Amino acid sequence: MSTRWYPLYQRGNPQLRVFLPNFWMKLVRPTPKQLPNIVNFECSMEMTKYDIKNYLEKIYNVPVVDVRTKIAMGKFRKDIGKGYVVKEDDKKIAFVTLPKNMSFEFPNIFEKVEDQDDENMKSLDDAKKSFKSYIDRNKNRSDVPSWFSI
Amino acid sequence: MYRLETTKRFFLRLSRHHSQAALQNEYSDTPEYPEILDNSLQGRKIRVREALFEKIKQLETVEEKQIALNMPRFYGWKCVMLRDDKIPFNAMPLVQCYTRSHFIPVENLPDAYCDTVKPAEEICKEVKSFIEDAISIEMEGVARNLNLSNDKPINTQKENEIARNLVRQINRIIANNGAEKFPHILSMQVDHDPRHEAFWFVGGVDIPTGVRKWRKQQSWYKDRMNENFDRPVQYIGSPFVALRSHLPLKPLISYNEAENPDFKVEKFSYTPQNVGYFSSFRHGTNIPGFWPGDYDEFGFLSYHGRGHILSRKDSFGQDDNLEALHCQAIKASFGWLLAQANYQGFTTYNDITYPLVTQTVITNGQLWSFYAYQLNTLVMHNENIDDNPKHNVCFGTKPLKLYETIENGKVKGLNEDVLKMLIQFYLNQPEEREHDLKPYLGKENQIVADIEDDNKRCWLESRYKHLVSNRPKHFLLPETYLWERIYKIQHNTRFHEAKRRPFELGIYPFKRRLNEHLPPYIPKALRPYPKSKKKFETTYYPDV
Repeated sequence: MSTRWYPLYQRGNPQLRVFLPNFWMKLVRPTPKQLPNIVNFECSMEMTKYDIKNYLEKIYNVPVVDVRTKIAMGKFRKDIGKGYVVKEDDKKIAFVTLPKNMSFEFPNIFEKVEDQDDENMKSLDDAKKSFKSYIDRNKNRSDVPSWFSI
Repeated sequence: MYRLETTKRFFLRLSRHHSQAALQNEYSDTPEYPEILDNSLQGRKIRVREALFEKIKQLETVEEKQIALNMPRFYGWKCVMLRDDKIPFNAMPLVQCYTRSHFIPVENLPDAYCDTVKPAEEICKEVKSFIEDAISIEMEGVARNLNLSNDKPINTQKENEIARNLVRQINRIIANNGAEKFPHILSMQVDHDPRHEAFWFVGGVDIPTGVRKWRKQQSWYKDRMNENFDRPVQYIGSPFVALRSHLPLKPLISYNEAENPDFKVEKFSYTPQNVGYFSSFRHGTNIPGFWPGDYDEFGFLSYHGRGHILSRKDSFGQDDNLEALHCQAIKASFGWLLAQANYQGFTTYNDITYPLVTQTVITNGQLWSFYAYQLNTLVMHNENIDDNPKHNVCFGTKPLKLYETIENGKVKGLNEDVLKMLIQFYLNQPEEREHDLKPYLGKENQIVADIEDDNKRCWLESRYKHLVSNRPKHFLLPETYLWERIYKIQHNTRFHEAKRRPFELGIYPFKRRLNEHLPPYIPKALRPYPKSKKKFETTYYPDV
């Protein structure tokens, strides 16, 4: 990815060709209750609506009907340990409209992770239960060490 | 939870009866219980709302009703703005739901126009040559010096300008020729570029993200996170030419048909920002192109431009452009009829008791589309959006070519069928209705001008006109500055300062009511002789 500032093209100037512009788009989860043919992206601040349309059409072959963009203000937070207020960077958010008959559903990326989490939680619950039963069992002999048992 | 509502007043009334020794009235053969009221939060809220609807219904004059609609907001409602010439991609479902309109695509005009076919043919023969001349002159024979503005694309403005002039000519030609045989055309009122505005409430729309976030923090909203509220909607449009008559048009279909389940419109609950409609703060206005009290107060025909189609993106496609035309017609017809209904004393809270009809033409000179619209209902606020069985109906044609080309100053291939359809619109005769047209207006005072009290009449008149002018406020709008948001609201870093700003005192400035202001001060020298302690002038805001 290039980080060079390319001069604006004026008629008559030699045309610089940008092969690796600082353009990126990140698919983000839509706000609750959004039309099924609208997709939300975060993208680099320099991208215009035309850039967004071309990016999706030329690289990913996504048919784009309309693009609306907004610049969302970054959040303000207290710097940890320092206590003063700092601001996160602004984001450019693009709402891309697909043709009427198309719909997009945000994929569940963490399906596997969720399964794993479930398993982990199960074993944790089991451990908790056995510990509870151990405590209950030894309720009346608090001074006895754990190995002193049948 | 239902339980008997026993109010203090009820006990009082009973005891008074008792003291008047009307003992025989106290007992009856069958026990008489007071009405069982729903005392859940929802039930109580609905009762408060219904009381408001009733109060607005009881107001006598049109203007007072309009002020009453705006009473809850000093700074105006945050309205979803529907403009006649701004139609985003795929707007049809939203427009249909917000206007409760069922759209029926047709090839010819609906059955109600059958009687007018023959006279239309005759008039068509008479006016054909005049219309051809008008088209060739307006399209090619005039060198225009256009006053172009920067807020719309140039080709849009050019097309609209040509169409505007041509429509005026065609209206003149048809009206002049038809007036002899059809006296209702003679008495018609013609408006050029009138102001058509309409305001109503739509319920059943999803809550915006900000409200959702706020509700998550409130414990009492736990069970009703997704409860909808009313969205104020404002239509603003301006046709090229609008014709009005003293009597309303005949209904296209019978009023009972309005409850036909075939006309059901699908609910569109997504927020309007999803489609591309945005909101702005303004007072709700209902203006059908004239002020209350005009003699000709029913819409007959309106001509609209279609220049905005040129400024739509190519990627929207031809199908969506056609839908956009339908949307424009539905919005324009509903908006105009709603404003007219408001002048008859109905509001978005008090439904009309009879159908109203208008005819709409969308044209650029060459392409003409014809729409006939019947307004059956106008309540669609939160309590009624699901229960109201009535729907409005719109019949509409595709854009039809009036002529093929213009060669050497001559119109080639004039399509008489299209011209006939237009003339049929003119021949649709308005009729006297047998029922009361203004059931919710007062017997003596129907408009503010009827009020005898000089002070009240003048005050209401000027307040109403100022309200619907939507001029900017004299003082700056209240604002929470960004630094306050950062350092006072989001992060409590200035806890040592005195709390004086509205958000620190728990006041939301935009909830201020319309009458929450000091009335004009009466200087001592102007107070009535000999002594008067009345410092401020009287206001006549409706009590709602």
